[in-house]
Amino acid sequence: MLAYALGRIAVALGLIWAVATLVFLIIHLVPGDPAELLLSQGGVAPDPSAVAELRDKLGLNLPITTQYLSYFGGLLHGDLGASLLDDHSIADEIALRLPRTLELIFAATLLAVLIGLPLGTLAALRPGSVLDRVLAAAAGLGLSVPVFVVGTIAILVFAQKLRWVPAGGYVPFWRDPLQHFILLLMPAATIAVGLGAVVFRMTRSSVLEVLTRDYVRAAHAKGVAPRRIVLHHVVRNALIPVITVLALHAGSLLGGTVLVEFVFNWPGLSGYLVRAVEQRDYPEVVGIVLVISVAFVIINLAVDLVYAVIDPRVRHG
Amino acid sequence: MAGRRISHLYLPGAIVGGIILVALAAPLWHLADPVKMEVPARLALPSLAHPLGQDEYGRDVLSRIIWGARASLAVSFLSALFAGVIGTVLGLTGGYFRGFVELLTVRSMEAIVCFPPILLALLVVTLMGPGAATLVLALTILYAPGYARVAFAATLTTRGLDFVTAQEALGAKPLRVLTLTILPNIAPPLLVQFSLTVAAAMVLESGLSFLGLGVVPPAPSWGLMIRGARSTMEQAPWLLLWPCAALTGTILAFNLLCDRLRDALDPRAGATAGGWLARAGALRLPDATPVATPALLAADGLTIEIETTLGRIRPVRDLSLSLKPGETLALVGESGSGKTLTGLALIGLLPPTMTIAGGRIQFVDRAGRSHDLARTAEGDMRALRGNEIAMVFQDPASCLNPVHRVGDQVAEGILAHRDLSRGEAATQAVGLLTEVGLPDAAQRARAYPHELSGGQRQRAMIASAVANGPRLLIADEPTTALDVTIQAQILDLLAALKQKSEMGLIFITHNLAVVSEIADRVCVMYAGEIVEEGPVAEVFAAPRHPYTAALIASAPDGVDAALMAIPGTVPPPHLLPEGCTFAPRCARVSEQCRSAKPPAAQVSATRMSRCHKWKEVA
Repeated sequence: MLAYALGRIAVALGLIWAVATLVFLIIHLVPGDPAELLLSQGGVAPDPSAVAELRDKLGLNLPITTQYLSYFGGLLHGDLGASLLDDHSIADEIALRLPRTLELIFAATLLAVLIGLPLGTLAALRPGSVLDRVLAAAAGLGLSVPVFVVGTIAILVFAQKLRWVPAGGYVPFWRDPLQHFILLLMPAATIAVGLGAVVFRMTRSSVLEVLTRDYVRAAHAKGVAPRRIVLHHVVRNALIPVITVLALHAGSLLGGTVLVEFVFNWPGLSGYLVRAVEQRDYPEVVGIVLVISVAFVIINLAVDLVYAVIDPRVRHG
Repeated sequence: MAGRRISHLYLPGAIVGGIILVALAAPLWHLADPVKMEVPARLALPSLAHPLGQDEYGRDVLSRIIWGARASLAVSFLSALFAGVIGTVLGLTGGYFRGFVELLTVRSMEAIVCFPPILLALLVVTLMGPGAATLVLALTILYAPGYARVAFAATLTTRGLDFVTAQEALGAKPLRVLTLTILPNIAPPLLVQFSLTVAAAMVLESGLSFLGLGVVPPAPSWGLMIRGARSTMEQAPWLLLWPCAALTGTILAFNLLCDRLRDALDPRAGATAGGWLARAGALRLPDATPVATPALLAADGLTIEIETTLGRIRPVRDLSLSLKPGETLALVGESGSGKTLTGLALIGLLPPTMTIAGGRIQFVDRAGRSHDLARTAEGDMRALRGNEIAMVFQDPASCLNPVHRVGDQVAEGILAHRDLSRGEAATQAVGLLTEVGLPDAAQRARAYPHELSGGQRQRAMIASAVANGPRLLIADEPTTALDVTIQAQILDLLAALKQKSEMGLIFITHNLAVVSEIADRVCVMYAGEIVEEGPVAEVFAAPRHPYTAALIASAPDGVDAALMAIPGTVPPPHLLPEGCTFAPRCARVSEQCRSAKPPAAQVSATRMSRCHKWKEVA
């Protein structure tokens, strides 16, 4: 198990290095002068002195190897540079906002699994039944509604019409735990609609598959109760592909929060990112993209380790 | 079946086509100018001139919806197309040339997949500034790797096929092979990928526009409309409804088309497997008149039925057999003879599509009570299963759950029937594993199935089967998946277990050598019927059915090297001949055999044969 974990961590570190390098290179891969590109508005050529200043600020005049080394040196010290507009430390801002985004993702995933897993299992146990068809149709709809549509409609119905919850915002946990969770509920549930549909579909097909396995028949032949067969033999084996799919969706999930945070005024990483993109603050965007990509790699690492816990064959293979 | 799947495409296809057509023909509808503002009429309710009302700047909503569809569809289709062309070319060349080219074309694309999609798009927007052209570029970069993967995988499969190799052998140039031979063959998965990409691009385009980073106002776009309507949500909630409905509806239609397309192109999809748990409530047979209680087991007239597209077929017909305690009965036959189904019927584990359509199965439990297994409810059946009646299956590797320890899986069967603590059951499991000859059982009990050898796994399965001291053990080809030396050990183990406990054993096999080693009596099955039955020694010495004789003649027994194959094959259960089922393959066939079913003839007090000419066979 330890050797397996160390191996996975080494691969993850390699990936993080590759991602960081790629992010560094993107600005150099764009045809033309990046500084000029960043400053041009609607096809109007920018002021040359402003371009020169920006080039200097971004360090674009230094040799590329020097740029790369100082970029990486900064990363190792946890330094992501400063905003172009107000020289505010990017790393500090991210450190403040990242936990909020992660909390949102965690809550959304939890909700999605709590909904998708039992319903998917139930549907697979009665394939073709009315319940199965209704759930499948609901999942099809859930997959098709863009996340910002769900969020906007949810605000319209639950905040504006019914006035059950506030339309959005954020209160730190230590100030008012109850209010904190109430405000978390809507954005998390919004993400959980699409994600829950994914978990449902995957669970359903995975459980159907596992039900045809010989070991299910063998457990049946032992006289084990159906309830125990489902919980003990089927669900655990069916979980493996479900987790794979969840991991694959981690990327779009991290992205999906961009829209949800915007809709609900959740002051996470994504609002910061959208503002940075709007203001075309390149160092900020790079810093945020890098951090999210690293988070993505770490999530995948975590998934690999969870596999090993669920499936003994993985940790010995 | 394929036709039905294609007809499933009509509805989503028509909706998608309709949406595209309406959007394309936007200039023909004499719509109001989508960007012309009329501030006094802001948030006006629907009117004759403006059927869906006016937005926060007094612009016509209907016109903006239709022109917005054009923007959404144009961006999605263009990026899906560009990404498709680039990705397919890269995937094709990578898959065809492999090696360094593969690294350059396909593997390098994987780096893009490392990024969450919307982030990459935002990175491009930061550099290029918002706008439709930026969107197309960003989405193209984003979706090309998907195509590259699909094209790469499909090319790998296709290029190994004979007709491609043949073309290459004839000297066709790579470009020609790629475009004329491989591309048409990998088109279906690419088509699915295309419709997937259009739907995904539409979601992303509207999301970016919603954030104000996509289509630039005042140009209409669904994402922008939702963004605008959000600010006036309190006064004019209906404005939110139209673009939300248009966007969701369109994506739903595309997703539906995708799903159906995939089903139509993938022959495996849509086959709903029942699974072992979905055992349909066994057919309620009418009550049978009580008969004499057997010593252990007596099946009488057992018939198994399955409902198929070819109609109702009966893979096992009018089967009768009996078993005494401590006796071993071998069920012998070729694959498809119905021997496994018979075994499954006895333990109540027929696949959910099959039912017992007739006959009775009398079984006497430890307490001396008689059960008719063909009429026992599932709950009572479960109390017998693994307790009074147990089964060992062919492939121990697939019958053990890979994620649970071997000892736990043995203990599970004990706990299912006896009121013990987990610790006691675990101790008993170790005892059982020792009994079946697993070396170092206490430690092996903690191992996972993949850590055991094939023979050890089958020993564990047997331990699990005999855990509750069953009266009847059904072993279905328990040695077929094992190598020869292990086979002999497993047979010895079964014989020893039987000796100890007076357990009845039904041994299902196609291997005659095994039969003569382990069984007291043998039932020879052919095409769903028992054609001959009797004590093993007598039947093997002097078979009374031509099929048995042929089987014995074809068995490689080492002494008589002359191997004789039986001509022809077992008829499938829906194409059974009218008379004797073996008639088409029989050397002794006569007119009577073709027209009349041979009755079960009593050859001697202990022997039966279903042959008109059993007297002539010797």
